[in-house]
Parts: sequence; structure tokens; C-alpha cells
Amino acid sequence: MSASNNNCPYINSDQKISIVFDGKKYTAFKGDTIASALLRNNIRLISRSFKYHRPRGIYTCGIEEPNGIVQILSEHNEPNTRATIKQIYEGMEIESQNRWPSLNFDLGAINNLLSPIFSAGFYYKTFMGPKGFWKKIYEPLIRKTAGLGKPPKDFRSKSTHQYHNVDIVIVGAGLSGLIAARKLIATEHDVLLIEQDSFFGGVLKNSNKIKKINGQEIKSWLEETEKLLKNAKNIRILKNCLVTSYNFTNHLIALEDKFVGKKINSNKSELTLHKIRTTHTILANGHIERFISFRNNDLPGVMLASSFEKYIHRYGVVPDANPVIFTNNSTTISLLKSLIDLGHKPAAYIDARDEKEIEKELSDCLEKNSIPFYKNSEVEGCDGNKKVQSISIRNNKNKIIKINSSMLCVSGGVNPDIHLFTQSKGLVKWDQNLLTFKPDTSFQNTITLGSVSGNYDYKKTNEEIANKLFFLKTKNEDIKIEINDTNSFKIKELWETQHEKKSNWSKSFIDLHNDVTTKDIKQAIIEGFDRIEHLKRFTTNSMGTDQGKISSINSLGIVSKLLNKKISEVGTTTYRPPYAPLSFSAIAGRSTYEFYDPQRKTPIHAWHIKKNAVFEDVGQWRRPWYFKKNNETMHQAVQRESKQTRETAGILDGSTLGKIEIKGRDALEFMNLMYTNPFTKMKPMSSRYALMLGEDGMIKDDGIVCKISDTHFISTTTSSGAPKVLADMEEYLQTEWPHFQVYVNSTTEQLTTFNISGPKSRDIMSKVFNDIDFSNEKFPFMTFKIFKYMNTEVRIMRASFTGEIGYEIYISPKHSLELWEKIFEHGRDFNLVPYGTETMHLLRAEKGYVVIGQETDGTVTPIDINFTWMIGKKKKDFIGKRSLTRSDTAREDRKQLVGIIPLDKSQFIEEGQHIVECKTLPRKIKKPIPYLGHITSSYHSPNLNHCISMALIKGGGKLMGAKFFVSTSNGTENIPVEVVSPVFIDPENKRLVS
Amino acid sequence: MILINCPYCGERDQSEFSNGGEAHVARPENSENLSDKEWGEYVFFRANPKGIFYERWVHSHGCRKWFNAVRDTSTDEILKIYKLDEKTPEPKDFSNTLKTPSGEPEVGSGNFTVKKQS
Repeated sequence: MSASNNNCPYINSDQKISIVFDGKKYTAFKGDTIASALLRNNIRLISRSFKYHRPRGIYTCGIEEPNGIVQILSEHNEPNTRATIKQIYEGMEIESQNRWPSLNFDLGAINNLLSPIFSAGFYYKTFMGPKGFWKKIYEPLIRKTAGLGKPPKDFRSKSTHQYHNVDIVIVGAGLSGLIAARKLIATEHDVLLIEQDSFFGGVLKNSNKIKKINGQEIKSWLEETEKLLKNAKNIRILKNCLVTSYNFTNHLIALEDKFVGKKINSNKSELTLHKIRTTHTILANGHIERFISFRNNDLPGVMLASSFEKYIHRYGVVPDANPVIFTNNSTTISLLKSLIDLGHKPAAYIDARDEKEIEKELSDCLEKNSIPFYKNSEVEGCDGNKKVQSISIRNNKNKIIKINSSMLCVSGGVNPDIHLFTQSKGLVKWDQNLLTFKPDTSFQNTITLGSVSGNYDYKKTNEEIANKLFFLKTKNEDIKIEINDTNSFKIKELWETQHEKKSNWSKSFIDLHNDVTTKDIKQAIIEGFDRIEHLKRFTTNSMGTDQGKISSINSLGIVSKLLNKKISEVGTTTYRPPYAPLSFSAIAGRSTYEFYDPQRKTPIHAWHIKKNAVFEDVGQWRRPWYFKKNNETMHQAVQRESKQTRETAGILDGSTLGKIEIKGRDALEFMNLMYTNPFTKMKPMSSRYALMLGEDGMIKDDGIVCKISDTHFISTTTSSGAPKVLADMEEYLQTEWPHFQVYVNSTTEQLTTFNISGPKSRDIMSKVFNDIDFSNEKFPFMTFKIFKYMNTEVRIMRASFTGEIGYEIYISPKHSLELWEKIFEHGRDFNLVPYGTETMHLLRAEKGYVVIGQETDGTVTPIDINFTWMIGKKKKDFIGKRSLTRSDTAREDRKQLVGIIPLDKSQFIEEGQHIVECKTLPRKIKKPIPYLGHITSSYHSPNLNHCISMALIKGGGKLMGAKFFVSTSNGTENIPVEVVSPVFIDPENKRLVS
Repeated sequence: MILINCPYCGERDQSEFSNGGEAHVARPENSENLSDKEWGEYVFFRANPKGIFYERWVHSHGCRKWFNAVRDTSTDEILKIYKLDEKTPEPKDFSNTLKTPSGEPEVGSGNFTVKKQS
């Protein structure tokens, strides 16, 4: 039965809180965690274990909890919450996990009966056959039963990130952390003190091991310290904040829970992820107790001794008034004293150590209080129905004695919490006196203080801190620590105890979270997994969400005994961040939903919305895909837009395409090197379609180059290629040709671009810009003009991507909407139609124009797509030139660009389909079908009334008129097709240049 | 995430930079005289040593300038940063650690955390 400790200052017993656990209501106090609340109400059974579905209870009082993992039903149904950490609020609804139909009666317990089958690594040896069973039976069943909790629902995460740049971080506001912080007050350092609990203190609040500091009672010293630190200008405090990662270089990640003990307010961020860059890291994050393996050491009612002690002092609840204490070391003496001080008596004290190692203080205390004392003894096992009811003790005469009890407190030793230290790539060393690993050599600027550095002697705390922090010019404050019990740490090596009876079903656990027994370790070694990293993965030992914090060192001890090796030779597995489970919500921060990626819009975006544009994403840009009139489908819209453009005129918002200005003394030479085209003899105020290659000869980007003079060029690029083209130009200018005087700059967002084309586009342009002569003689194809208009500078280039007469208009964003609307005003009489990217793609395909990324994929050269004419033959050098004559790029059977039409004009060819020689795909494909090429673009042309496609096919240049087949996504009948020229409309370009 | 001391902007997070691979690989001048194999080595091959490595970085989310660095790839420590027009440091100026932070573990032990007992 549990009892209360009314002296606990951290629990507000005036404020009652009611919670619901598995449908039943319980009362507890403000400040309780779920675990302390349940213990207060004598609830011992909290979950069913992962594999065997064994009944489990609360084992610890902290982040290292392996059993007490629950689902929070209120709010958004958060799974896998540690009951030992989560503070309750009024009305919290909690459900236990991994059991059906109930915690008390779980059908999954059948796994426990079948446990000989489920030994270590069983999944490597089972579920192999019969054929087909994996897909239909095993996998669905395993998927259903695996996992612990159920996923959250209706949850919109709202976490934030916060950045810190400080001189010193102190991890842990326990005894050493607080003393170190006090010594740093009013020094020149910026200090960040991080504490995972809601209160300072560490061992000071979790036990009564320390009586007084500098003559002050602990409570008062803590209050004074907190006040001093809060008022210190150079010290910042973070509470409820857990450091989860220690990365390179002196970079820490910490997770702060903003709603401890409160219901989440959906208007505020619930978690803050702190990203901290520091010069020095002081690790004062303390130690974790470890257990001992014995038969049924997982029954509800078995708990770590220091956790029991923490429940008394930190949470004001004595989980059981008469527990049995089993230990192999001296740290449990303070637990014994805490119980006696509250008027409770342990039912027995079992110490594995020899008579001569046992402290006189301890034997005297036990004798004085008439507590049964078993020296040089160990617990053989415990028994009971879903809870501890009796404990079997193997006494110093090797006789088994059974006693009745409902709680067993175990202490197998103390481990410095070296997770963060090893994450920082520090080296640890085995200490034979402490029987644990402790930090040895730092790799980064790491200092360890207190129990994490292996210093268990509180009397030496002040000296340690003064020495290790001396170089920081800390304040010379002398701290006198008075302790309550014996200070010398003594321990006897004991990892597991012997079972009295040999049985297939008697289990002693080495990993509670993943249900790994000591027998599994032995089996793994027999099977040859004797390296610790192999053993970990084969048995899943320490791979749970608790990372085996209370047990992984024990497993090393057992392995060392089995292999007859020193523990330092066995080594440890690599501790990886995060230290404790970290939600994706915290990692994502605010970069979620509409804030995941910036959305770029053109200056006339609002006009597109008004005209019912349906949008598509091109990189980060929102571009009109098509404009929907009345109730038409996309197909109808695109056909309408395409037809109208070739009949009269259409206009596209092309502002997203990249624009780069290239200026300087050596601009001409630079442009000749960057592109395949020759620019030397190019006339000023003329334009040229240009290609940019990679050094491997493959097409990287295309665009139109306008030459204003030999020292001033303007390039366009593809929408998504713009940043890369600019970056590549800068790279070459800075690293390869630093002697060039050339400056490049992006003007993509400084100008809007309108592309108008169609037989009537010239008429419309003449009306809008009535000072300019648009006749063929005065404004030839591929030339441009710059002039003043609407009080700003406008550039008009005669070019088009549609094969009709067309113009590209460049104007500043401020004037863009006005000009756009003016164009429509004058275009109304000519039925000017706005069109989107789909029509743009269709119209260019009718002319056989390629799209970078559609017809090219990084493996296509200019020769492959009939662009040999774009290569300047007389140019000595340009990026990619040498690669065009490599044996592989000069092959005759390379994939080359062709057009494809179906023989039956009613059929439609799909983009991405393969060109093959067989009419029908066989039902069972026994040999690979030869791949001849694939369809790169395909559309239904409204101007020709049948499907037109562009394709890359091996040796295409010599295949005009050849007949092949194209696969479909619809069955095995391939479409008969013919290879034609990719230019489907106006192959002599009469419409374009008239 | 390491800290990189941009010679133009000062110390910044690694996430502000883009790595540019091996440094001091000059574009061959008369590539028409190179065999396909020699040219292919320039286009496709770059060194990837364990230990002292001369590489390039560009401050993409900052000044957008390129610079060079000498980094020990086994410990990720940046030994020297120098501008493109500054003198290239000699390899003898650096001690080549060729060590992982915990020293070389026994082959096959997978054990990188425990200090080797001498």
C-alpha cells in the first residue's frame, strides 16, 4: 500500500486534480506525473510488454522508463508518452498501450506461452514460407500487432525553433550544475543553464543524501540560488528543457515542453527546439541507476531503488510502505533512512556484498529498527499474479528463503549518464572501482562535473568544480557540503542472479522495453554474434525508445562474463542522438503546411485568379496551368487556348523565366565560353536562342541571349534553372577566370515578361505601342528594341515559343498590370486569349521545340536533338566542347530526337511510354524486351486533330518513316506508330518570320 | 553542423555554405590534345581522401563568394581557410591525423567509444 510524504514542497496537495486511466477516474495533486498519480492510487499495472505482453508496472521515476509508456487520449491522442515525465492536468485521459481487450486480460499474453519460438532473432528464421503467405498473412498480421501506441489524429503541429549563441552551456541544474552556475555569475561569460525538470536541484530534490549546504537547509539554499541566478544578467535559464543531442562543433539541440502540466493551447507553439552554439559545454547531467537481472525481474512491483526514493522526495508519495530492498552497493542506505524517517519499515534488506564491505552505519540502522537483514545474499526471483506477491532470496548459505511482499526496490549500481558525452565523440574508460564507464578524454570543449564524471563523493564536489572551471576565471566561492549518509561508494559486481529451477519459461530480463532476456544474450553468443554491435542488433537489446538506459551496461557485464573478456574489451555500442524521443513536430518547427516552401508569384497573380486560372507548381513558382471558362474540362480549355492562339493571338505570363544581365569588359569572351553559340559576329540589338552545356557535353539549360553590345548581354533561362545558371556563372568567374572583368546579376524579379503570339499579335502590339513600327522590315525576327513607355523603360524582343509571330515584352513590375490590361483592351477585337503552361507546352510541341527537362534529362547532347547548327564551329573553346567528341558522345546509335504519330489517328500516345518492336506485350515476360526509346512529350493537337509526340529513339536520325509500337498503361496491346519529323506545323517557318 | 569562418563575413553555420569539392583542379587549356581518358578524368574524377583535403566552399546564403579550405576529413576539423588569390598552404604545415576521434578501433570490433587500454 502506498503512503504520503507530506513534506514534499513540489506537490501542491491543496490543488486536487482528477484524471482518467483506462476508463477509471483517479484523484491526484497538481505537480504529479501520471506515474506518481497512479502510484498514489495504488495502481501498479500500467502496460503490457512489447513482445511477450507480460504485465508491467512503473519501473523508474524519469526519462529512463522502459515500461510506463502510455497513450494520452485527450487533445490529439499522443502515443508513447512516458508516464514518469508527463505532468497531469485536470481531466487528462490516459490509456494503456499494447494490450487487447484490456490491460488486465490481454490476449497477447499468448506470446508469453509461445516464448520459446520468439527467442532472439526469431524473425530471421521464421515466416519464410509457404510461398505467398508473407504477402497475404504474415505481413498484415505482424503489421497490425507491431508497434506500441496508436497514431495521433487531427493534429496540426505548431512548434518553433530558437537559436542561441553563448559562451557556456551548463546541462543540468543539479548540485554541480548550480554550483558551477553560481561561480559564473557576473563573470564575462554568457551562460545558458538548462534543466529538464520544472524545478532545480537534481539529487538535492530527489533524495535527502545531502543535509546542508554552507549551513543552509536544502530548500533555502535552492531558493537563494535560483534567485541569484535569475537576477544575474549574464545567465539565462531554460526549464522543462531536455538536451537531446551534442553535435559537432559544440552544437547542442534541446527540446523544451511549453505546456508542462497544462492542456495544449492550439494558438501557441507546444514545443520549442533550441539550437545552441556554444564555446564550452559543461555536462552536469548526473547519473542513472541500473538494475539487476533475476527471475521475473519485470513483475509490476519491481522498481529501481533511487526511483522509489525520488517518488518520496520529489513527488511526495511512498509507493509502498514496506518494500523489500535488494542492492549490491552503498547508495540504497539513503532510501532506507528516508523510509525510517517517515515511520515506515522495509520488509527486508538484501545486500549482495560481503560482511566486511558492509558499512557499520547500515548494519546498526537495520538492527536498531529490527529489519530482517540478508548479507551476502541475492534475490533469486519473484512470483505473483500480475504483481509481486512473494520474493525468493538465496541467502549466504545458498538456501532459498521465500518472503511475502508487494514491492521490491532494486539497485545494481550507478552509471554516469554518458550519452551526451559520447555523442560529442568523447572517449570513456572503464572504472573498476565504480564498476561503470566514465568520461575520459573529451573531443570537443566538454567539461564533466559531478556524478556524470564519476565523482560520487559529494565532499569533493567543490574541489572538482574549482579545478575544472579555474580556466574560466570563476568566482572563488567556497561551498561546504554536509552529507546525510556514508560517502564512500562501495559496490560488488553482480549482473544477474541464478535461477533455482531450469525452465523454458522462467525469464530474467536484460532489456525491459524490447523484452530481451538474459537467455537471448547467451543464445546470440552461441550463434556467433559476439561483437557488441552485432549482439545489440540481433537481440534488439537497448534498441527501444529508452535506449536501454537502465540495463545496457548490465548486458556488457553479462557478455564479458560469457566471453571471459574484460568489459573494456567488450566495449559499448555507439550512443546516438536524440537522447530521448524527439517529435517530428519539434524538428519541423514552423516549416509546415503552407510554410513548408516559399511560394513565388508573379506581379499579376491576382489577375490570373480573377480569370479562373487553374495553377500548377513550377519549382517554387505558381503558374497558370490553364484558364477555365465556364464548366470546361482541362482538355477543352487547352484545346480552345491553342486553337485561338494560332487563329488570332494568345498571351502568356512568362515572368517566372530567369533573366540574367551580363556586363563588363570581357562579357563577349565570357558568353562565348558559357554557351555553345558564337556571339562575336552577332549584331547588337539582336537575339539568339542559346544552349548551355555541362563540362560533360550534356545540355544543362537553354534560353535566349540578347546582345546590347560586346560588353552587355541579357540572358534568359528556364524557370527552375535560373538560380543554378547564375551560380554556375559566378563559379566560373570567381574560380576559373578571375582575370575576366565581368559582372552577372539576376533580374528575374525586377522585370515581368509577357509573351504574346499569333497572326494578329503584330496588330495588337501596334495599337498598344503606337510609336513603334512593327513591320517585318523595321522589326525583324530575333531582334529587340528598348524605349521609353509609361514613364519607364520597356524592352520588346521579337521571338516566340509557339511558331507564330510573337513578341516578348519586359517591363517593371510596378507597371505590369496596367500594361497587361491595356494589351487586353486592344486585343479584345482580335479575341486575344490568355493561356497557361499546358497550352504553351502544346504549341511548342507542334513546332518540335524542346523543353529542358522534358526532352533532355542530363544525358542528351545538342547533336542528339538536331541542334548541331547551334554550335559555333570556329570557337576554340566553350564549356562542354571537348566532351562532344568523346567516343561515347559521338556514337551513331545514341538516342536522337524524332516525332511520333499514331497510325490510327484516333489513338492517344502517353508521355513516358516505351518504343518497342513487339505488337503485344507477352502476359508473362520471360526475356527483357529491348528498349528502343521513349516518348518525351505528347499532346492532342487541335490544329492537326490528332496526337503528336516527341521521342528519343536510338539512331533516330536514320529512322524517318520507320514503323514501331508504343506501350500503353492500359493493357498489353501496343499502339502502332510511325517515326516522323518532330516539326508538325509550318516546317518552313513561314508564319514565324513573315 | 560545423562552423566555417568565411573570409569575407566571419564565422557562420555550415548550412549557409555549399561545398564545391576538391580545390585546385584547373580546367585544362588545350583539351583537344587530351585523350578521352585524360579528359574524362578531369570531368568525372575528384579525390576523396581520408585526412588532409584541400576543398572549395561558397557562401551561398551570404556573400556568395568562393574560397578554399583545408579540412581533415577524418575529424571534420577545418585546419585553414584561405581566399582564392592567397597562397596555397603546404601539406607539411598540417599534421595528418588520419584518425577517427576515438583512435582507430580494432578491425571488425565496430567499437568507437571506448578508449583503447594501452
